[in-house]
Amino acid sequence: MGTTDAAIETEALSKLYPGGHGIAELTMTVPSGEVFGFLGPNGAGKTTTIRTLLDLIHPTSGSARLLGLDSRRDSIEIRRRVGNLPGDFGFGRETTGRRALDLMARLRGTDTGRATELAQRFRSDLERPLGELSRGNRQKVGLILAAFHRPDLLILDEPTGGLDPMMQEEFLAMVGEERDRGATVFLSSHELDEVERICDRVGIVRDARLVAVERVPDLLGRARRKVTVRLADRGGLDELRRLAGVSEVEQVDGGVSFRFAGDVDPVVKALAAHHVTDLEVSRPTLEEVFLGYYEGGEGEG
Amino acid sequence: MNDRLAAVVGFHLQERRRSPLAWGLPLGAMSAFIVAIYPSVQSALTKVVAQYPEGLKQAFGIGELANVEQYLHGEMLSLIVPLAVGYLAARAVASDLSGAAESGRLEVVLSAPVTRTAVCLAAFLAAAVEVAAVLLLTLVLSLLGSLVAGAGLGVGDALAGFAMVWPLALVGAGLAIVVCGFSLKTSVVTGVVAGFLVAMYVVDLIGKLDDSLSGVRYASIFKYYGNAIESGIDPVAFLGLTAFSLLLGWIGAMLFERSDLNV
Repeated sequence: MGTTDAAIETEALSKLYPGGHGIAELTMTVPSGEVFGFLGPNGAGKTTTIRTLLDLIHPTSGSARLLGLDSRRDSIEIRRRVGNLPGDFGFGRETTGRRALDLMARLRGTDTGRATELAQRFRSDLERPLGELSRGNRQKVGLILAAFHRPDLLILDEPTGGLDPMMQEEFLAMVGEERDRGATVFLSSHELDEVERICDRVGIVRDARLVAVERVPDLLGRARRKVTVRLADRGGLDELRRLAGVSEVEQVDGGVSFRFAGDVDPVVKALAAHHVTDLEVSRPTLEEVFLGYYEGGEGEG
Repeated sequence: MNDRLAAVVGFHLQERRRSPLAWGLPLGAMSAFIVAIYPSVQSALTKVVAQYPEGLKQAFGIGELANVEQYLHGEMLSLIVPLAVGYLAARAVASDLSGAAESGRLEVVLSAPVTRTAVCLAAFLAAAVEVAAVLLLTLVLSLLGSLVAGAGLGVGDALAGFAMVWPLALVGAGLAIVVCGFSLKTSVVTGVVAGFLVAMYVVDLIGKLDDSLSGVRYASIFKYYGNAIESGIDPVAFLGLTAFSLLLGWIGAMLFERSDLNV
């Protein structure tokens, strides 16, 4: 440990609970200025990791450094420079966004100028009680509270939950701007589109362990895509079955369907020997991406 | 007070700005009613109370009911007000710690550069102010009731009686912080403190009912709470209860610092 330009470094970070889950032996490095996605199914350990980094829960063993500072000893200084959006943002039903913002501004010793700017951008109503807002509108307030003080590190747990598509676009643009000004963004997500568009790298957690850290194109390359091909002629099944990365080959009405991961070139060449009347390649879902890792062994981590 | 602490205390008080009215009005109205009816029931009461067993009178602090102060103590200040306001103090702390954890606010607040000890202290201070406001309103309404009915409630006596509730209620606040160090469930926090206050009252009651068990009263905060409306404030008891509540708050803050914020 001790890489000075790392925004987040963890070394065998573990948080064990009597009933299981938590995180185990998590070692990773997120360089400054990177947008890092943290992916995994529910209960995999994403929120536990975030809370441990922020010293909201204390690790059983191991250590973490944020912005070069020890997550436990220097927690106050870290929190001065970090913005956090919890997974299920709330602040009390009767509290207005404005009142929450005023409190956070005083705690951070800063003004609310940028918050007003962000509120206009996200079309967020800060004057209404949070209990009267939809989940998406509450989430906007949470995003504003996380980002208004221009933190060096933004930690966002499922940031786009409930946001409509237009606001998701605005959020992605904001993350890009944060990266451009040199901030690091660490976000957990279930949205593959979002991860693909904004993340430089991703880490995948499974059963409390980090099983891989990958660049986004590599992540998608390992995902198994479903392909359905309509053929004017019959045949081709055996040929496809022999190809590396191809699985679940099935005859369907008027063609063939299969899954593949990896290099697409041999597949295209094999299909080129036939008269293809239709071709459908579905985008992998995040679950399919996870399956690619869970079945394919572990990567870095 | 540093600015962050003042910010959190101010936020809590603003969030619960209606609480003094919600608690002080009913308690004050009840006290005012008790005080106001005293002149008309005094003679009947004296006869009835004279027939009560001595132990019962001592246990419930009924005394001779020879004046309105004794009547107010017996009806309100011996049990109802300290239990209600002690519970209020615990509820206020629970709202600011366990309730805030349940609503998600605590996670956001603790993402800012503020210590958990400061958050606990802010909860304690806000509870202290809230309890003082409720007691003040109850006192004022009681005095108004006396004025209207000509009951002759002494201002100094009444002030002493209600003021002595304050440190007792703070013990409830301090204990609530201790419980928050173990559990961030509001129902657990308020339940434990309510149970503690009732248990303290019962221990004191047992000591009053049975002379051979009078020693157990020293283990009850109600022993030190006493009967200030008649005997005045015992400064040692007042400061002792306040110090005990602060000690509980400090222990609670230490536990809270070490606990995990998992709801």
